[in-house]
Amino acid sequence: MKNILYGIMYSFKEIKNSKIFYSFLIFALILISGSYFVSQTSFINQGRIMVDFSIFAISIFNIFIGIFIGASVVYDDVEKKSIFIGITRPVKRTEYLTGRFLGLAAAIIFSTVIMMFIFYFVLLIMHKFIVPVVPNAGAVVSGAKSAHNNFNLQNRSAAYAAPNHPFTFYMLPQPLIIQGLFIIIESIFISAAALLFSLVTSKALASIFAILIFFIGNVSSRMNDLVKPVKKIIKGKVVIVNQANHILTSIVHFIYTVLPNFSIFNISSEAAYKLDISSGIIFYRLIYGISYTVLLFIISSLLFARKDIS
Amino acid sequence: MIEIKNVTKYFRVGFFGTRKNAVEDLSLDIDGGKVTGFFGPNGAGKSTTIKMIVGLIKASKGSIKINGYDSFDYRARLKLGYLPENPSFPRGLKGIEIINYYAKLLNKKINKNEIYDALKLAGIFYAKNTQAHKYSKGMTQRLALAVSIIGDPEILIFDEPLSGLDPIGRKEFKDIIFKLKERKKTIFFSSHVLADSKELCDRIAVLVNGRLIKNENLENIEKEAAVYAEEKKEDRLSGEYNTPLEVYLYDLMLKNRKN
Repeated sequence: MKNILYGIMYSFKEIKNSKIFYSFLIFALILISGSYFVSQTSFINQGRIMVDFSIFAISIFNIFIGIFIGASVVYDDVEKKSIFIGITRPVKRTEYLTGRFLGLAAAIIFSTVIMMFIFYFVLLIMHKFIVPVVPNAGAVVSGAKSAHNNFNLQNRSAAYAAPNHPFTFYMLPQPLIIQGLFIIIESIFISAAALLFSLVTSKALASIFAILIFFIGNVSSRMNDLVKPVKKIIKGKVVIVNQANHILTSIVHFIYTVLPNFSIFNISSEAAYKLDISSGIIFYRLIYGISYTVLLFIISSLLFARKDIS
Repeated sequence: MIEIKNVTKYFRVGFFGTRKNAVEDLSLDIDGGKVTGFFGPNGAGKSTTIKMIVGLIKASKGSIKINGYDSFDYRARLKLGYLPENPSFPRGLKGIEIINYYAKLLNKKINKNEIYDALKLAGIFYAKNTQAHKYSKGMTQRLALAVSIIGDPEILIFDEPLSGLDPIGRKEFKDIIFKLKERKKTIFFSSHVLADSKELCDRIAVLVNGRLIKNENLENIEKEAAVYAEEKKEDRLSGEYNTPLEVYLYDLMLKNRKN
């Protein structure tokens, strides 16, 4: 356990100092800060555009960090032979790999938190989308109900109305905070896939495979919906009026079943409309992401334990 | 201390995964408190053998035990320090940060003074606050040496420790090995430079084409070399090699090479 902790700290420090990490972080921060200018292209819903644009920037750059650093975190160690000294210390290979992976996860959390803070400050300066919190005035969104239950717009408006109180401070609305959490889970998840691929193939191919998995995982549920038979009720009977090719349907269904569904981590629409996410949905999606990540990491560990490092 | 028994290592090469033996039926015991030189031409299988000993690669057949533990078991490396050939370290970290991290991975408490002593012995103390990727090859080699000797391990395994070093660096490195030898460390090092043999070793093992062709202590092998020189009556000492031992080892490798 101690070795894993040291590994995490070492790995985090190394990733934090890497050029690729800085480049992505700085570029994302520029985009988030620039979201104000993008929002000015619209006369209505400028806040929504800012949120959409910034969430996209935070998400995509964390995914890039996950993929590109995930594919190189162990691969580069082996290629540059810096792993030789580390792994010949009295540490188990699993400990080494866990340290490297969790160090990367810590770097992803670090970058997401920084990006979310900058995003928060941009929203604070623009005074858009932030929620006033008044001390001793009860829960901030006490009147609001889940977006997936009966959402009460009237209560919601009341809850988000800025009071004239001297000690008011502002926070991000719940769906934006949850979106930040989902971005972390999604990025760590894809980095686990990139790490796994990097153990069996080259760094470039591992990155390409991870990008493909991410892309397919984002569209697979929509594809699956598209190939579902179209049914109509004609004269009281359910009749299939249109059905895609059976082979195509099976392939799409297989991909949908086997590959992870990344689209569930994208709640930018809910965030843009300030719809609260119910705790059940948050819990289910977190468990989904974490279970998949753990599974991928266990496979990586099994492969790494048997790998000849030369 | 280190027991290598009937070890074979093959790699799959080419499209059809043809088996190619890198090491063949190697048996070797490395005694405690002695310096064993592992000599052989390029591609003989020296680095592969060393990587099997330190647990980087797994033997296809046979067994390697260090202090009774299988070489793949992390406990085998509790008292082992390893200096790889052409070592490298991650970018962006200072020398002191790197050695601190590796010191923490040893299952014992290492204080600051021990770390400084290792850095001083390796001659890299002055650059401890410089980022390791800015080091020269010699400096990187020294930092790797400092990492390998931290925690005062009983067994030290050096893979081509003198390769790529300038004459001054070689001399200083040899002095460090002598110091470690005085401390009765078990040192196993590989080299293809025959001149290192007499100076440093108590025992010499020669590997050619993955097969161990000689494993003797220095005295015996020197006697054999003297007899060989007498038989050949050929004066080659003024050429590439300066001692009968070097000539003997050179001819031994040449005779056993496949092509």
